[in-house]
Amino acid sequence: MADPTRSEYVTLVSCDGFEFIIPRSAACISGTIRRMLDPASKFSEALSGRCVLENLTGIVLEKVCEYFMYNEKHKDQANVPDMEIPAELCLELLMAADYLDT
Amino acid sequence: MDNEVPLPPPRRIRHRSPSRLSPAGSVASSFRKSRRLSRLDDRSSQPSSDPALFSSDDIPASGLENYNAPVAGAGRKRRYRGTWWGEQVVDPKRKRADFREKRHVDSGVWMGSDDSVAESSLPSEDAPNWGEDLLKTVLDPRAPGKAFNAPSLPKMPDTASAPVQPRPVILQGPAESEEQKYARTVINYCLEKGEDSIDLGNLNLKYLPPGLLRPLQHLTKLPSLREAPISENAYSSLQPFLRIYLSNNSLTTLYTSEIFELKDLKVLTVRNNKLMRIPEAIRKLTALQVLNVSMNRLDELPWDLLWLLQQGELKHFTAHPNPFPSIEESEIIEWHCQAGETNNGDDGEEAEVEALKAPPPPKFRQYEGSPPADAWATIHVATGPVKRLDMEGRPVKYSPPFNVAAASETASRAPSLREVSLRAISKLDGIDQLTDFELLEFPALVIPLISLARQVRQEGSQHCSICQREFIVPRAQWIEWWDCMPYENGMKRPRASGEKLRPLPFKRVSCSWACLPELRRVE
Repeated sequence: MADPTRSEYVTLVSCDGFEFIIPRSAACISGTIRRMLDPASKFSEALSGRCVLENLTGIVLEKVCEYFMYNEKHKDQANVPDMEIPAELCLELLMAADYLDT
Repeated sequence: MDNEVPLPPPRRIRHRSPSRLSPAGSVASSFRKSRRLSRLDDRSSQPSSDPALFSSDDIPASGLENYNAPVAGAGRKRRYRGTWWGEQVVDPKRKRADFREKRHVDSGVWMGSDDSVAESSLPSEDAPNWGEDLLKTVLDPRAPGKAFNAPSLPKMPDTASAPVQPRPVILQGPAESEEQKYARTVINYCLEKGEDSIDLGNLNLKYLPPGLLRPLQHLTKLPSLREAPISENAYSSLQPFLRIYLSNNSLTTLYTSEIFELKDLKVLTVRNNKLMRIPEAIRKLTALQVLNVSMNRLDELPWDLLWLLQQGELKHFTAHPNPFPSIEESEIIEWHCQAGETNNGDDGEEAEVEALKAPPPPKFRQYEGSPPADAWATIHVATGPVKRLDMEGRPVKYSPPFNVAAASETASRAPSLREVSLRAISKLDGIDQLTDFELLEFPALVIPLISLARQVRQEGSQHCSICQREFIVPRAQWIEWWDCMPYENGMKRPRASGEKLRPLPFKRVSCSWACLPELRRVE
């Protein structure tokens, strides 16, 4: 198996055990995850390529990952379409955004 | 013929009363009638003298036993005016009492009850005018001192059908001040009469309560002509030329987004108020032709206002006096317009050459003959430094080595997750109704963001001044100095040759770090 510190994909784990495997570049949009995965930091997350996010439930983390991919996709675009957020999730997502620094 | 006289005489005969003068027409007709009657020589039933007056001593309240007791008539002796068989003087000024009198007439003798006396003493003039007069004189907070002991009246001024007796008004929602009630009355009056000039000046309004201006959206003018005019010129447009005058109030904010919902608003005056800023939502007033924001506490103007000047109908804009910073004292990173320069560089790159040390004050270029096109236009004079804001809208502490790298990384137009979820929050129902107290129930970290979303909902959303996207959290802001002189004098004259420019500061905000002015990319 390849060295997890260099791997192209990382695994995000929610507090209720859902795992999401997404590209490292997308996950690093979040400042918190970027610092977690920084090889220089020698955190266990950086070594294993697996981040357990204790504050986020699977439902929220799914939406967060959707956002990561949305951001990755539209990074260099001029006209960015809006991303649909269900009303019942928007407050939790705001909290998650605060936690993830994104 | 019709006046064959029985005894007692038919009702509804006018007795001559010394207290009033009958109009000329009725004098003539009554004269004719009396001549005819005199020919018949039967006028015995019609007293020529004043109707007899009877004191009503048999009312218990006026008896000797309780002589000192308070009487409803407040010291006035009750008087009964009329003939002994119960007929009343028909006084045209007391139309209102007719109905009551008619009810009592079959009893033979009519005794004025307490309330009808009190009532009939109130209206001193014709009924429809009376209500408006009272509203004008008593409710008007412009007449100081009177407003506080005024009887509270129903809001609508159509007191012709309303009961005369003052009635306690039922308060709706939070208590409204007298000024707001008066403003509402004015607006209802304008709506009813189709009056498109709404004068809310000198009312000492602190803020515009929600729901106040909204009905003006549906204002329709009434045709002023009753019959066909001789020339076509007499016809006027029924399209309302909506004017709102809010001058000389104490407004601190144009809080309600409702004023910006009035798409037809043509004239808006907020002169002499305490406004700290003009909301960006002013962009929605695309029909605006005259705007006066003088004598407020503004130190900058929204970029959207310049957009209205350039693209919209706005032709008469009064900004001075206001505590704007002067361009000489402000930090400028780029001059676009040089003193005496032939190319005044509206948006040209040539103007950037060694622009940093342009000596103020800037002047318009010299010209001869007829004024060039740009003597009428707005001129970009200078640009201030760009202030970057982080994802929560707070200024970034600028530390170049770190931030340049971070900026290049995050200089994308994709919104942050905070922004995305705030947009969803700002679309929630009832977010604009959230009180500060309810806001405290949210986690402390997100309270400033949610209050931002609430503000956006209340004031209308902001647009990025570069990419025109709507956004909630601004990510960068800077000041641009533009000279709008022809607009300030109402497009009466162009700039004179070599005239000194007096630029106004317009604040630009943008939605992301990718949306920055051109010059920043050079650095």
